[in-house]
Amino acid sequence: MYKKLFAMLSILALASLILASCGTPATEGPAATEAPAATEAPAATEAPAATEAAPAAEEVTLTLGSWRVDDVAAWEVINAAFHEAYPNITVKFDPTNPPDYNATLRTQLETGTGPDLFFVRSFATGRELFDAGYIASLGDLPGIAESFTEASRSPWATETGEPYAVPIIAVSHGIYYNKDIFAANGIEIPATWEDLMAAAQTLSDAGVIPFANGTKDAWDINEVVMMQFIPSNVGGFDGRMAYLNGDRCFNSEEMVASFQQIKDMQPYLPNGFEAVSYYDAEQLFAQGQAAMMLDGSWSIGAFEKDATDFQWGVFAAPPLAGKDQYIEFHIDAAIGANAASQNLEAAKTFLQWLETKDFAQLLGDNLPGFFPLTNEVPTLSDPIGADFMAFNSAATGVDIRFVWEKLLAAPSGSVDAYTSLNNNVIAVLKDEKTPQEAADAFNADVSAWYEPSAGCKP
Amino acid sequence: MSHTLSAPQERKGLVRNFNRSTLTWILFLLPALFVYLTFMAGPLFDSLRLSLYTGEGYNPTKYVGFQNYINLFTNPLWREKFINAFTNTCIFFAIHMLVQNTLGLLFANLLSNDFKGRNFFRTIIFAPATLSVLVVGFLWTLILNPQWGAVNKIFMAMHLKQFALPWLGRENLALLVISLTSVWQWVGMPTVMFLAGLMGISDELLEAARIDGASEWDIFWRIKFPLLKPVIGVVTILTFVDNFNAFDVIYAMAGAKGEPAYSTDLLATLFYRTGIAGEHPVGIPDMGMGAAIATMTFAILMTGVLSWLYFSRKQATE
Repeated sequence: MYKKLFAMLSILALASLILASCGTPATEGPAATEAPAATEAPAATEAPAATEAAPAAEEVTLTLGSWRVDDVAAWEVINAAFHEAYPNITVKFDPTNPPDYNATLRTQLETGTGPDLFFVRSFATGRELFDAGYIASLGDLPGIAESFTEASRSPWATETGEPYAVPIIAVSHGIYYNKDIFAANGIEIPATWEDLMAAAQTLSDAGVIPFANGTKDAWDINEVVMMQFIPSNVGGFDGRMAYLNGDRCFNSEEMVASFQQIKDMQPYLPNGFEAVSYYDAEQLFAQGQAAMMLDGSWSIGAFEKDATDFQWGVFAAPPLAGKDQYIEFHIDAAIGANAASQNLEAAKTFLQWLETKDFAQLLGDNLPGFFPLTNEVPTLSDPIGADFMAFNSAATGVDIRFVWEKLLAAPSGSVDAYTSLNNNVIAVLKDEKTPQEAADAFNADVSAWYEPSAGCKP
Repeated sequence: MSHTLSAPQERKGLVRNFNRSTLTWILFLLPALFVYLTFMAGPLFDSLRLSLYTGEGYNPTKYVGFQNYINLFTNPLWREKFINAFTNTCIFFAIHMLVQNTLGLLFANLLSNDFKGRNFFRTIIFAPATLSVLVVGFLWTLILNPQWGAVNKIFMAMHLKQFALPWLGRENLALLVISLTSVWQWVGMPTVMFLAGLMGISDELLEAARIDGASEWDIFWRIKFPLLKPVIGVVTILTFVDNFNAFDVIYAMAGAKGEPAYSTDLLATLFYRTGIAGEHPVGIPDMGMGAAIATMTFAILMTGVLSWLYFSRKQATE
């Protein structure tokens, strides 16, 4: 009897354990995510309903959803400045943890509890929300075409050029280096890849870890290392377009050269780099144990806080000898308005303010490492941030991350370019594939579903 | 003539016919049944229904019949992912059975003897089970860190450089290491259950055996072990259910992708990536497929539990 009862109980328990988690997300999700908002600012989520019947000049509170949990203080400054310019509109920054952002936002929008304004991811992820009708069209927003270049607007615009979000932030990538270690070993900032490898050898001989990077978290080796090499090898935007049009295959010699750079770096990574996480790598650099780290401009703040025992700076990942320098300057975030918002007019007023130089200056000063995209570039107060911006003017060109446009949207059951590139980069580092084999595997994965590359199928 | 009876009398008669005790029983069950149906059975059937639908985002609306299941088993990529996750889950379960439950039996046997410090050992063996899995995962990730982790520092100090490995970064090691971390945390559970089972064995039996000259080894295999069989069954089935649902320890130590290279991807992490979070960096989930994976996991668990029930009942009647 006991056994039977126990078996019944365990069946019920296990059934609920696995299935409950995916059964009713639409009803569970918002309740869970709304809770913090409700305790922090009860007015924030209810504001639209309350002001519905009120006259237009009445005070309006807008919520701004974001995945930038670390930037609350900076956005409070920015939103306070906006409130000063438009005293009847208050904007409340309400971020969600980055890994949960897409899912949470989607649930909120589907259940009608979405924020009035929210950060929109570039290309496929954001476009999907626009196509589903959750993001308001900004075709009639004054000044958007004049304030931003087409390259900045296109990640958040339809094929016909109809914009649905205002681009606000780009991030850059480079190599952070320990000036003290470089000076002690007589190393100058390398101008070519070959110089960089020679410097790494010198450092390795001196018993210093040349590069702090590892592969435990996987994404960083892909986004801040491999995709930093690719633009200089393929020739920036035009080169990338050759792949997207099918003129070049994904195992072209330029791609093999990029994988070869990964292989070149392998002896200069920390011991056990397979289990070194992104955070470990930043600590290795910040503690002065590693001389360099390939990282994004978003880490300026973290290093300014942690790496205080030595002088450090940044330089752009040098191209192979004979190649032109291109910078991985990734247009990362835009802000869009909730199409169902009760305060769409106020939301659009905020979006229009994002086009101004005032906003660009506030953003640049308060968020070092996140670069405003307005045509009129303000002078950045952070010296490292200014160094990153100087890469762009010194280089032949800039381009976004290689796989972001079109190559992420793989149909179910096929491998998207991001995942394939990531797996193959790690395979090269672990000596499981040669650079040529890795490039061939990358080409096979992408050409299997990306139609313009159909001719590249092995 | 019933129609002439007054109302209270009629009701009384009905109640008597219905059997008073059954009615009370049902009344007491109702609140629990309501909670169960709303929060467990409801979502369960909704999930089964969801596995027949497709569509991006959180409201799949397009009915596709069994297409999600067909894709899961015929599309090479999905099949490879599912088989990989299933194999890893089996390995994860096998390590727990072999190491956790064998150690549990050993510890219980030792703790059933009277010796000084018995309570101390019982406490430290059970202590990790009271910690959060995320905390345990984080601590062991630090201990196993290749640069500043204690494990590799000890190996280096012993001049055993060849053993100072990136434990969580090698495909052939990571699953084993994470499984052993989980064993370390949960070994107290089978220990306590086996200990309770051993305490239930009558001293007379053991005493009689000793008088007959049986060694401790014989006593274990011929008396204690056979009498522990029902407990072993319960522990096995609990381990099975826990391991096939395992998610948190992998999430804490290897991330939702089951790094490195999907070598620690379990059914639950595959389900989470597919149905809830979506793959980085796009993050658009495929809830229909996720529900199909959850349903398959449910089917595997159901098969395991039902066959255990069948065999244990057969054994009991023999």
